[in-house]
Amino acid sequence: MYEAQRALASPVRNPRMATVIGRLLGAAFLICFGTGLYSHFLQEPLGWMRFATRPEFLYQVTQGTHIVAGIACLPLLLAKLYIVFPELFAFPPVRGLVHFLERASIALFVGASLVQITIGLLNTYQWYPWPFPFRQVHFALGWVLIGLLVIHIGVKLPVITRYWSKSAPNIGNGSGSSGDGMGSGDADHLVAAVSGNRAFNAEAVRLWGSTRPSGVTGRVLDYIDATPRVANGVSRRGFLTTVGVATTAVVGLTAGQTFTPLNAVNLFGPRKKGVGQQGVPVNRTSEQAQVADAALAPAWALTLVVAGTERAFTRAELLALPQTSVRLPIACVEGWSQMASWRGVRLRDLADLMDADPETSFRLISLEERGSFSKTQMGREYVRDPLTLVALELNGETLDLEHGYPARMIAPGRPGVLQTKWLSRIEAI
Amino acid sequence: MGADTNGSLGPAFGGPAFGRPGNVGVGGAGISLLNPPPAGIAASTSQRMRGIRLVLVSIGLLLLAWGTFVMFDSVRLTRIPGVALWIAAAIALHDAILAPIVFAFGIALRRVGRRATGTVIAIIQSGIVVGSIVSLVAVPLIVAKNFAPANATVLPLNYGLNLGLFWVVLALVTVGLSVLAFVRWRQPVEAFPDDSGR
Repeated sequence: MYEAQRALASPVRNPRMATVIGRLLGAAFLICFGTGLYSHFLQEPLGWMRFATRPEFLYQVTQGTHIVAGIACLPLLLAKLYIVFPELFAFPPVRGLVHFLERASIALFVGASLVQITIGLLNTYQWYPWPFPFRQVHFALGWVLIGLLVIHIGVKLPVITRYWSKSAPNIGNGSGSSGDGMGSGDADHLVAAVSGNRAFNAEAVRLWGSTRPSGVTGRVLDYIDATPRVANGVSRRGFLTTVGVATTAVVGLTAGQTFTPLNAVNLFGPRKKGVGQQGVPVNRTSEQAQVADAALAPAWALTLVVAGTERAFTRAELLALPQTSVRLPIACVEGWSQMASWRGVRLRDLADLMDADPETSFRLISLEERGSFSKTQMGREYVRDPLTLVALELNGETLDLEHGYPARMIAPGRPGVLQTKWLSRIEAI
Repeated sequence: MGADTNGSLGPAFGGPAFGRPGNVGVGGAGISLLNPPPAGIAASTSQRMRGIRLVLVSIGLLLLAWGTFVMFDSVRLTRIPGVALWIAAAIALHDAILAPIVFAFGIALRRVGRRATGTVIAIIQSGIVVGSIVSLVAVPLIVAKNFAPANATVLPLNYGLNLGLFWVVLALVTVGLSVLAFVRWRQPVEAFPDDSGR
């Protein structure tokens, strides 16, 4: 085990680097968790919850950030795991119950993080090659991971505080001897030993003996030891630069699906701005929702129900009401967004026409019969907002069937799944 | 586990909390940190550290328990083994496959590049790692596109071509920087001492 750790030792594998990358990764996890909770409660609000409707691109930003931070986690997590990898070979493997629990929690932390990032990434293009439901597991793992993160910070707090600032002692360069590094106590010696520092080699030989196991293992280790090393400083700067460039690359080349300035370099985004019917990408199609017949039927009418009174509006009747034009983004939970021009009737005007109490929340019902978002609720803050429309036109044309013809909801700051397409009924609650 | 103290956790959790007084204050201590504190204060700070760690670990355990409850509450019991399997597979994939490949690759590159300077090796290594991580994001897009995406607006780009272009640009930049570095800093790699017993 010592030989394994020695072979793996590297100038970048030290507690200071673990702290530097760890806090970036921790921040990314917290951002993902916060934005994820916000998105979750927008979709499944608790009764007392009210949400901000301005800025109208709020959800575009929070959810775009959720996906961007999630993608950034990939290089950061791999970097963090690279730094602490020799810890896997800690010897003895288990030193007691507490040590066992600590290692078990880290194993779960690593595995759950990798799974969370992977399924989140694949969900952005609706690919689900796993044997469990995405939404529920992603949500539950979010709590699990934040719990494990807080435990991990608690467990490592002495190391974190010690190596927080740049002037921390013993940053793996063999300048000190009291390294309590990442838990093994040997990190500095290991790095010194492989950094070509003869004094510390001698020290290492004195401490651990120089005799190598003979046979294949010994020869392999000899081979590894005889490999030239890159200077410590170059190695560390190179590592940090690599992590920075890799993170910038995966974020920069995908975030164009929601952040317009990066649209030109959107090489690997699962969506592309402007690609879709009427220049807007589509999430759920009329075919998936099985609504084409009902939506295209001449008998279609939008029914409003307020305090027991029902009134049906045909599309022509809706078009005869005062029309309002707004510019609002469709912002999807999958992290893409698209600004668009919408025209239609203010929901507020319809509510007033029905004499609805201003404090009323509404239930939006789609022609779609199945599907978890075929019936959703809209809090009064959205109902009363002047930007909230029953949209009939998109980008100057009659709403495309794929965008919710004959009428759809569009409101500021809500996830795309709540911008109900193929509206059928709107009921006061 | 909550009742454990710094003393008994010491080695497992990274040894003594503080080697030097200058680093004491991160947890939000109200004690002046400018001067080395007398022994009594140092003891009370380590007491404080112990307290903070205890609180953090307890909060973490509560969150973990809540997450586990949410999992069992919202996911059908028959699906839970699938989640466990994926977590175990992720650990195995990283620890047993990805990490050894990265390690072997690092060795190979430094062997091949014996005569290059450390900076050049670092630049080339960096280029390959960046390309690999971007590929890790891009290859699933290419694969998923073959499985007929939900509609034409999902995965609309030619990701294979884009990845190829990315590698070409990356290679050009990497080679350019390497040449520049080679010309400017001709320091040899720190050779490993030959007296290592071979």
